[in-house]
Amino acid sequence: MTDHTTYDGPILEIDNLSISFFTRLREIPAVMDFSCTVQPGEAMGLVGESGCGKSTVALGVMQDLGVNGRIVGGSIKFKGRDLGQMSQEELRDVRGSEIAMIYQEPMASLNPAMKIGKQLMEVPMIHEGTSKEEAYQMALEVVTDVKLPDPKRILESFPHQLSGGQQQRIVIAMALMSKPSLLILDEPTTALDVTVEAGIVQLVKELGTKYGTSMLFISHNLGLVLETCDRICVMYSGETVETGSIQDVFDKMQHPYTQALFRSIPLPGADKNARPLVAIPGNFPLPHERPMGCNFGPRCDYFEAGTCDKGPIPMSGVSFGDRHESRCMRISEIDWDAPITVAEQKEKGEIGDVVLRMDDLKKYYEVSANALFGGGKNKKVVKANETLSFEAHESETLAIVGESGCGKSTFAKVLMGLETATSGEVLLDNQSIGSTPIEARDTKTVSDVQMVFQNPFDTLNPSMTVGRQIIRALEVFKIGNSDDERRDKMLNLLDLVKLPRAFSDRMPRQLSGGQKQRVGIARAFAGGARIVVADEPVSALDVSVQAAVTDLLMEIQREEKTTLLFISHDLSIVRYLSDRVMVMYLGHVVELGTTDQVFAPPYHPYTEALLSAVPIADTSVEKKHIVLEGDIPSAMNPPPGCPFQTRCNWKSKVAGGLCEKDVPPMKTMSDGLQIKCHLSDADLAEMEPVIKIAAE
Amino acid sequence: MEQLTWTGALSGYIDPALLVLMISLVAFIVAQIALSFVTAPGAVSTNPDGTLNITRGPQEFAGVGIKIAFTGIVLCLLGYIILGVVMPYGSTGIVGAIAKQFLPVWIALIVTYVLSITFKRRLGLYGKLFDSPIGMIGFGLVMFWVFTAVLGGPLDLIVTHDELSQVSGLKNKTPGMAVPGASEMIPGAHYLLGGDTLARDVFSRVVKGAWVVVQIAPLATIFAFMVGITLGLPAGYYGGKLDTFLSFLANLILAFPVILLFYLLVTPEIVATGLPNFMALVLFLFPLIFVAVLIQSRFYTEPAKRTRIMAAWMIPMIIVYLMIVSQKGTVINILPQALDRFDIPGGILVVFVSVVFVNSPTVFRIVRGLTLDIKTRDYVAAAQTRGEGPWYIMLWEILPNARGPLIVDFCLRIGYTTILLGTLGFFGLGLPPESPDWGSTINEGRKLLSIYLHPALPPALSLLSLVLGLNLLADGLREESLKD
Repeated sequence: MTDHTTYDGPILEIDNLSISFFTRLREIPAVMDFSCTVQPGEAMGLVGESGCGKSTVALGVMQDLGVNGRIVGGSIKFKGRDLGQMSQEELRDVRGSEIAMIYQEPMASLNPAMKIGKQLMEVPMIHEGTSKEEAYQMALEVVTDVKLPDPKRILESFPHQLSGGQQQRIVIAMALMSKPSLLILDEPTTALDVTVEAGIVQLVKELGTKYGTSMLFISHNLGLVLETCDRICVMYSGETVETGSIQDVFDKMQHPYTQALFRSIPLPGADKNARPLVAIPGNFPLPHERPMGCNFGPRCDYFEAGTCDKGPIPMSGVSFGDRHESRCMRISEIDWDAPITVAEQKEKGEIGDVVLRMDDLKKYYEVSANALFGGGKNKKVVKANETLSFEAHESETLAIVGESGCGKSTFAKVLMGLETATSGEVLLDNQSIGSTPIEARDTKTVSDVQMVFQNPFDTLNPSMTVGRQIIRALEVFKIGNSDDERRDKMLNLLDLVKLPRAFSDRMPRQLSGGQKQRVGIARAFAGGARIVVADEPVSALDVSVQAAVTDLLMEIQREEKTTLLFISHDLSIVRYLSDRVMVMYLGHVVELGTTDQVFAPPYHPYTEALLSAVPIADTSVEKKHIVLEGDIPSAMNPPPGCPFQTRCNWKSKVAGGLCEKDVPPMKTMSDGLQIKCHLSDADLAEMEPVIKIAAE
Repeated sequence: MEQLTWTGALSGYIDPALLVLMISLVAFIVAQIALSFVTAPGAVSTNPDGTLNITRGPQEFAGVGIKIAFTGIVLCLLGYIILGVVMPYGSTGIVGAIAKQFLPVWIALIVTYVLSITFKRRLGLYGKLFDSPIGMIGFGLVMFWVFTAVLGGPLDLIVTHDELSQVSGLKNKTPGMAVPGASEMIPGAHYLLGGDTLARDVFSRVVKGAWVVVQIAPLATIFAFMVGITLGLPAGYYGGKLDTFLSFLANLILAFPVILLFYLLVTPEIVATGLPNFMALVLFLFPLIFVAVLIQSRFYTEPAKRTRIMAAWMIPMIIVYLMIVSQKGTVINILPQALDRFDIPGGILVVFVSVVFVNSPTVFRIVRGLTLDIKTRDYVAAAQTRGEGPWYIMLWEILPNARGPLIVDFCLRIGYTTILLGTLGFFGLGLPPESPDWGSTINEGRKLLSIYLHPALPPALSLLSLVLGLNLLADGLREESLKD
């Protein structure tokens, strides 16, 4: 604490760090030969897929590896002092006061039984022995700094009384209480909605500048790292593969993995037909099955036997750029500027007739305050869906975009028949199914409308073999006359989703996330589904796997002429694969049009904010920064008038407080785009594009 | 004939060794605790080749001492058993003679362990149990009593005397007393653990009692689970009014004092009204419902196959059900006498019904809680969206994934049931007064406890070791089922 000012070398120097976990069977190397330096005030991004060891590095810095984790080589120096040589007392002094850490799940890092104020005040009281009054003043100051409304009330509340975004702000405030020199952020926004994430990211950036704190930012999202960090470290399978400044790594990458990673994420310009994503072939190697030499070797396009599989490969400097290094034997041999070889141009599927039509669909839930003695006066209505109208055509991809609580899951439930509509119609081939619960639907209707779920680790029954689960779907859909016939059909379905036939006898836990998701897709298509609702099917997968699963969905769609309702909050992927986009907010459709129309002005103010909030991993993209105030209102208690009015930046343009009084009508623009907003046509026409690709 | 001593010829060798080892074990443990306040633990360093080096301080040496002393004690105990089995009857005292009597159990245990450990990788969760020392000890204790019960009960291999016959002159005699008139040193020449107030052999009664306990406790627990699962699944899955009603009912039963309930159930007036029989009628119906729904929900897509399987399972089950519930001389007498092949003695039926009745609400609550958690999973939603019926989802999607906690609870619950049976026996409820079950035996011994300790102690220790074994087994299972 006293040497806050006296030391002026690098804040963190990690030198050839190796960390292993020891199990009963073997030693598992989690991090190998990792080096990086963080200068004062610098933000370092640590990027990689799950299991690449990025969180282990953070835990290593905190010297908190648990009982079976151990640093087996190298050193971690914090302000010139070796953390590995410190005693437990010294470490306790450093942790939380000079190095602070922010975790992914905000609710899990706050003590639910303690008031926010008390938790914040603890930090200076323990580390610096300040008095209670002083600590309270500091807490108040920091809570104001993280831009929470009404700080005094916040300090008096318990964690569960705050929303996820507010909780994460409190966690950040707590980390800042001791004015740390180094802040480690481990996926701080993954659990949050996009517009809330944008707010947190901006806050972190501002605080970094204000306090001069160095940051170690761990994320799997390249776009987020681009927005927050100065330097980046790309990790793969326990090793750094490339490090350098953001500009160098993003634009002049010198490692095949970095290149492949960028080619597998949908950037503006990618297109599912003309320029499809390039998925990285193969799977992430398990820690004890790493190959000799380059870990990325078996999946690399530039792999050369004899060069890349001989012994460990060191990091080597690249001739240009600021401290730009790469772990590749063939840096100088590869032509890094070679254009992407387009794998195959695909025919765009012909969009056919209307298959599904929603007409003024409404779904309300009644929530009574007292569960045991329902009824009485306290009945509340949650309006999950309001006047939902749209059409979906054969072999079309309709994206439904919105954040949590916008009513997209409710809509899916009504479509699937798990809930019945309060009013309005759902027409499947001009046949009303909106008020038919699933038990009353015939097998054909049920098998026609199927769903792919979000969480790959939850989508399969863990105690049933993969084949059995697909066969069960076939049995229920009355396909095949005998067990043998169904088994054949199941194997065909595995072929369809490009899984080896041997997988039919495996248990789900033996499969990776991407493979499980493929089984989920096979199961959905078991009955020849014509409408598939895909609820964020790739958001829980690693970037390199996302591309492959997305492409698989597209390919099946082309073959089977399926209508795909793609629910997502990730606008980059929506832009890549959808034909039309529907934006939802608090149960309302606020904008509906073709993908090009929605992604270009005029926008609905919410779409505009959403577009600006999504991080894009492309340095040539310029974005307008629009940060929404506050959180999404509860559907239990929606604001009067326009649902978006509480957070809208354009509200002042509408005269007479119309936004607070009336729900705006759905306005159809000249080109068929529908927007639900009170703004005049002139105002809408004035809007500027949010995303601009700088001319190169 | 002389009275046997505890260890006979071994008393000069193993007894002093055991004493020294026990004292040193205690001393080492105390030393380690004391040292941990004073000295620092040994530092661990990593070598480049991935091995670890631990520098040993005084604390570590105390730890090594504990290990050596403990191993020594185990070896001494093994020595008693092996020497007892090998040496002729009587030469190694009471301990040796008992070890010899248990010879079939030792053989069965060794065979079980050798087979299980050889094939443990192919045996799923059961095989994984042999990775955990705690689980292995627990399993060993449980299997010891199971083998004792089976081999000593119906097969009559272990006992030295009939559990009911009295030998005059051995009333309340201390362990190792010779039977009057016996002249040869063969099994049966002594009352190994002494005689009780009615001059019966305590050792034989404990072995016979194991059979009563091992028969009733697991069966009653299985029935309690059937009832709890069949009600808990819909309560958790449907929620709402059904859940409120069933949970209220469960709480009502739980809130009622158990012992009072038992007293009420065995009162002759209440037995005469047929209440226990009616309860049996309802409680024994649950396994039938359970299996029927299980088959129907799974195979309804293929009616022919469904009917075949359903018939194969249900017809025998219904027959057994009718035989059990139908009792001559009670209110429920459905089957004609010729078809009613067996009856459960009235006392046992009452005990059985009460134990199931009292245990099922707890199982109900566990299953309900697990269902509430699992029903939010995507695979349940996937089953719903392909139009599966609620019972298929409950029994085939939810129940298999709730098995971990249920298996652990099953083991623990057998332990509770055993204690409950002991308690019931202790109060003289249900089982006939001459029954050798452990609870009743303890109760009998209690009356003269201040003068004669030996009749009450062996059944009490048996009960303790069985319940301890079940608890350790449950711990081991839980530990291993969490790993993958």
